[in-house]
Amino acid sequence: MKFIHAADLHLDSPFLGLQHLPNALLAQVRASTFTAATKVFDKAIAEHVDFVLLAGDLFDRAEQSVAAQAYLFEQFGRLNDAGIPALISFGNHDYLADQHQTVAYPANVTVFGPEVGTQMLTLASGETVAISGFSYPQRWVPEDQVIQFPTHAATDWHIGMLHGAVSTGSGDHYAPFTVAELLAKHYDYWALGHIHHRQALNDQPPILYAGNTQGRAITETGTKGAYLVTSRTGQLVPEFFETSTINWEMANLSGGDSLQALSQQLADWLTAHPADRTTLTAVTVQLTQPLTGEDAAQLQSGDWLALWQRTQQRVMRAAQRYVVTVNVATQMASVAAPQLDQHYWEQGAAGVFTPENLQQLFGKLNQDPALAEWFTQPQTTKAVEALARQQLAELMGEEGNHEA
Amino acid sequence: MRLNQLTIYGFGKFHDRTFPLNAGLNVLLGPNEAGKSTLTQFISAILFGFPTKKHPELRYEPLDGSRFGGEIAFTQDGTDYLVSRVDGPRGGKVTLRNVTLDLALPATTLTHLLAPVDAQLFSNVYAINEPRLGTVFAASKQALIDRLRHVGAVGSDFWLAQAHQLDDAADELYKPQGRKPRLNQQLQEYQDLTEKLNRANASYATYWELLQTQQQQRSQQKDIQRQLAVQRQVANQYDQQLSLWSTYQQWLDLDDTAVPVVSGFQQNDATTLERLTNQVNATAATLQGDQEQLASLQDQAQLPPLFQQYLLVAGQVDPLIAQFPDVTIAAREQERLQTDQAELQRQAGDIERQYAKHGQMPRAFSLATTQRVQELTASLSLANQKRRRLQQQLNQLNEQYRQQQPTRQQRQNPLADKQVGWLAAGLIVLIGAMFLPGALFKLGGALLGVAVGYYGVFIVDSSTPASRQMQTLEEDIRDVQAQLREGGKAIDHLTQQLDDIGDAHGLGDLAPAQWNAAQDAIVMWDRLTQRLENVAEQLATVVATVTDFQAAVRRVLPAATAADFTKLARELQDLQSTQQRLRTQESDVTAVASRLKRDQNALDQAQRAVTTFLQTRNLRSTDAFYQQYQQVREQGNRTQQRAALAEQLGARNLAALQQVASHADLSQRAQSATTQVADLQQQLDAVTEQLATIAGQLDHLTASGTQAGLRQKLANLAAQMQATAQQWLVDRLVSQWIAATLAAASGDRLPQIVKTASQFYGKLTENRYTEIELTPTTLRVKRADGDWRTVGQLSRGTAEQLDFAVKLAFAVVMAQQVAMPVVIDDGFVNFDADRRRAAYQLLATISDTIQVILLTADDGVADKLPTENLIRLTD
Repeated sequence: MKFIHAADLHLDSPFLGLQHLPNALLAQVRASTFTAATKVFDKAIAEHVDFVLLAGDLFDRAEQSVAAQAYLFEQFGRLNDAGIPALISFGNHDYLADQHQTVAYPANVTVFGPEVGTQMLTLASGETVAISGFSYPQRWVPEDQVIQFPTHAATDWHIGMLHGAVSTGSGDHYAPFTVAELLAKHYDYWALGHIHHRQALNDQPPILYAGNTQGRAITETGTKGAYLVTSRTGQLVPEFFETSTINWEMANLSGGDSLQALSQQLADWLTAHPADRTTLTAVTVQLTQPLTGEDAAQLQSGDWLALWQRTQQRVMRAAQRYVVTVNVATQMASVAAPQLDQHYWEQGAAGVFTPENLQQLFGKLNQDPALAEWFTQPQTTKAVEALARQQLAELMGEEGNHEA
Repeated sequence: MRLNQLTIYGFGKFHDRTFPLNAGLNVLLGPNEAGKSTLTQFISAILFGFPTKKHPELRYEPLDGSRFGGEIAFTQDGTDYLVSRVDGPRGGKVTLRNVTLDLALPATTLTHLLAPVDAQLFSNVYAINEPRLGTVFAASKQALIDRLRHVGAVGSDFWLAQAHQLDDAADELYKPQGRKPRLNQQLQEYQDLTEKLNRANASYATYWELLQTQQQQRSQQKDIQRQLAVQRQVANQYDQQLSLWSTYQQWLDLDDTAVPVVSGFQQNDATTLERLTNQVNATAATLQGDQEQLASLQDQAQLPPLFQQYLLVAGQVDPLIAQFPDVTIAAREQERLQTDQAELQRQAGDIERQYAKHGQMPRAFSLATTQRVQELTASLSLANQKRRRLQQQLNQLNEQYRQQQPTRQQRQNPLADKQVGWLAAGLIVLIGAMFLPGALFKLGGALLGVAVGYYGVFIVDSSTPASRQMQTLEEDIRDVQAQLREGGKAIDHLTQQLDDIGDAHGLGDLAPAQWNAAQDAIVMWDRLTQRLENVAEQLATVVATVTDFQAAVRRVLPAATAADFTKLARELQDLQSTQQRLRTQESDVTAVASRLKRDQNALDQAQRAVTTFLQTRNLRSTDAFYQQYQQVREQGNRTQQRAALAEQLGARNLAALQQVASHADLSQRAQSATTQVADLQQQLDAVTEQLATIAGQLDHLTASGTQAGLRQKLANLAAQMQATAQQWLVDRLVSQWIAATLAAASGDRLPQIVKTASQFYGKLTENRYTEIELTPTTLRVKRADGDWRTVGQLSRGTAEQLDFAVKLAFAVVMAQQVAMPVVIDDGFVNFDADRRRAAYQLLATISDTIQVILLTADDGVADKLPTENLIRLTD
């Protein structure tokens, strides 16, 4: 038996956190989710797999992407022509409810319903496989669904398909489960989706997140892909294969004390670290001393990066890296104002960096969904506070200079 | 901190002057241009540094060119210091000494000694003059609040400025109500883009609708295509039939199925014949050529004509020659046989002459006949002997009887009649038996006849009654006579029989006694004739062989004219010998001869083949064949033509056409089918066009990338917005932080300052205003009557008094930490007399707490103000 386990294709959904993107890259970015998914389907056909499992979030339904749907029709048609069944479950992004979908996918496609269902397959080799799974009927599925999964069927193999996250105990929205529960089903394989970071929750039987096929934000670094699973001596052995055409990477540099130095340093680093494919790189530079106010402002506004990107286009192209952000960090100088006691600053911070104050300050901006979503992320607050402290530190340095 | 003495090296209009100061109130009195402001500036410059050369009006460099700078002796925390500053880089060269310990200190220590007061704070709070009070009005409310804040926390002006900058920067990034700030613009753009995306998303519904329509249309298309295919085929068939109509008519016309097809006259037969005749011609030509060649050769060789002929037909002659020895033997045999035959004929002629009386040879007896003849002859001889004996007996008896009765002889013997009757019967039986088939029966019959005769003669006779002697004699005589008669009859009979046999075998002319010899001759003759026949037969065979041979030789060699075999044989032998001779002669002749032989063979074969060919077709000549062949070919052509037409028509079309009544009918059907096809085609075109449109629309929807582009743009914009919002948040938060920190730093003093300021303000305004309220955003004062007044509502003087009160309150409240002297440079210009007095009194009061240096042009001050240190600048 041979099958492919992929998840979170997120077809035709945009890359996040890119402020400026050259047109040449834009086209590549736009195609990347499709290109990655195509590699999955190509692999399925080239390897003559017995079936393909897609564990949720094939696309973002809210985005109502025509391209994604047209693409799926085309690719499912390809699999159909090759006689390969595709079993798909919808996740929190492509949940079932859609009154638009009036035309069904080709006959080889099985879409799991909102209740846990089991699909039986008899392979060309004569082996029998049971595949159990379900689709999200709406955005959230707060209840543990594993209970609904049947025990190992009287087939040669039984595979579970689950789009969800390990239970944290409370406030879980995405079909929470525990590894112990899954193991208790005695399935031969659990094809998980939802978490974009590829990981194994258990080795044998494999309980795996395939991760998404194409990283779409700086938080999704590294090579992305899917699993080709083959039966070997009664066990299912997953083998990872790459699909991503664009990678994300974070890089840390140190040294330099001005933007001019930083510019050269970045260019040198790029030349020294070429990537094997287009790689969107976020750089954090540890400076030996804080930037001057003007430099800091230039960096902060993004003007410097935009200029740098324009001037170093050739270098970036040669290294196949595109620097998406440059953050500088300085040794956090102790906030010690010459004229104001430290405790006043801490007192002030305590009054300022409160959720209430932040919320109040954010005020009307909460009405914008994109900003509101960003703002509600806990790391946003942390980042903002850290930046504020950094800026204050810079100001104190200036004050010190001023005094001198 | 207390200033003890000001020593001026050179500063503005002053040079080398010393102003001693005491701890309390110091009044420096002088009219305009006496140097009041110069002194104020001197204190600020020595303590905090000379202003840069960009502002020469603030530097007060000495007009007379003396040394720029001076020194101030001051006491801080019980220690005396002396600071001097002369012209130099970065605000001037500072020298600091700890006078108490007599220690030189680094210049930087000064800042720490003065902290937290800096130049700005000094100028803002401690150096009070009218223009600075006036700035209260020039500044915005926020400025006032900031000022007050500044007053509230030492060293906060930098931070306030930063907070200001941050707020400005933040405002450039975002204003909740603004339009221009970056984030506001981005938000607007985001909204626009979202709307665009929503519009683009409408295509999603369209997409599904199109997909559905496409699916329906496709099935419809397939349906129509199927129908069309069927209909088109129908129409095509009709069209085809129409186009084939004339062909069909031709086909009909060519119908002549009645004529039978004769075999053997096909193209290949003609070819065969042609080939055969060609072969004949060719071989004949070759033969002729060879003959000519041979003739020329023969002319040289002078061969006998017979041999020449032989050469032509050697193939046929040679087998004959091969037969020649046999034939020669046959010829000799013939001679021998002819001799034999003559001999045999002679012998047979002898026998014939002896026995064949009437040209007919007697026949030989069969074995039975021979026996019978022997028996008969024996019986006959017996009967003759018996008769002779009876004749003797009778003679004796007659003698006796004559002796006794010579007459008795004449008497009739009735018994003899009886005997005659038996004898006759026996004879009849005997003769009858002769007619029976088979020798045995004949013999049996004959014996029976004899027996019957015997019975009649002897038995009956014996039964006759005896007589006496006479009678016995008579009876004896009669008996013997009877016996004689009987014997005679028997003899006759036997003779008769023998005669019969002899007649039957053609021996009638011979006595039976000769029969035996005759029989031998007959057998001999039989053998001879037989041998003759054989010989004749052999001879005929041999003769036939010989004559056949001769005929054959003559046929092939007409020149061999010899009728006689021996001559022929000689000729042939000559031929052979010639051949032998020739064989040993020149080879070319031989070659030509053999070639000629071969040619002749080939020609014969070819001719035979032609003949066979013609014979099998029952024809006499090739012309006849060609005639027939032509006919057959014509017929074949017609049939072929018809078949071709039929083929052209096709079996199905032909069948279909045969069903059609008329051309018009067919046209009509074709017309209607075509119309139907056109209709269907039109439908199909419509559907196909719609499908193409749909496909185009779908392609457009799928490939436009509008959605994806917009989404990525939105995502990018969102990232930008987040960055902007973050920066804005950071700016605002840092600003807030600074404010909060300043508030915290000043927080414990501000209420006290405000309270003290309120008291001072009451005193200054003769209690017209009783309370000052300071909030982070507002500053207002309460009138005695309880009404609140904002700063903007106050008169210039009153506002200046407010500022003055606040500054003094700050200086007083902060005295424990800062204790900076208050330098007032003609600050009460806009104060009325009462309030000025009140101000003097207030200064006098606070001089207990802090050092006050009042520079004034008001001479009255000396009266109204008790002071320990009054310095007249004009002195």
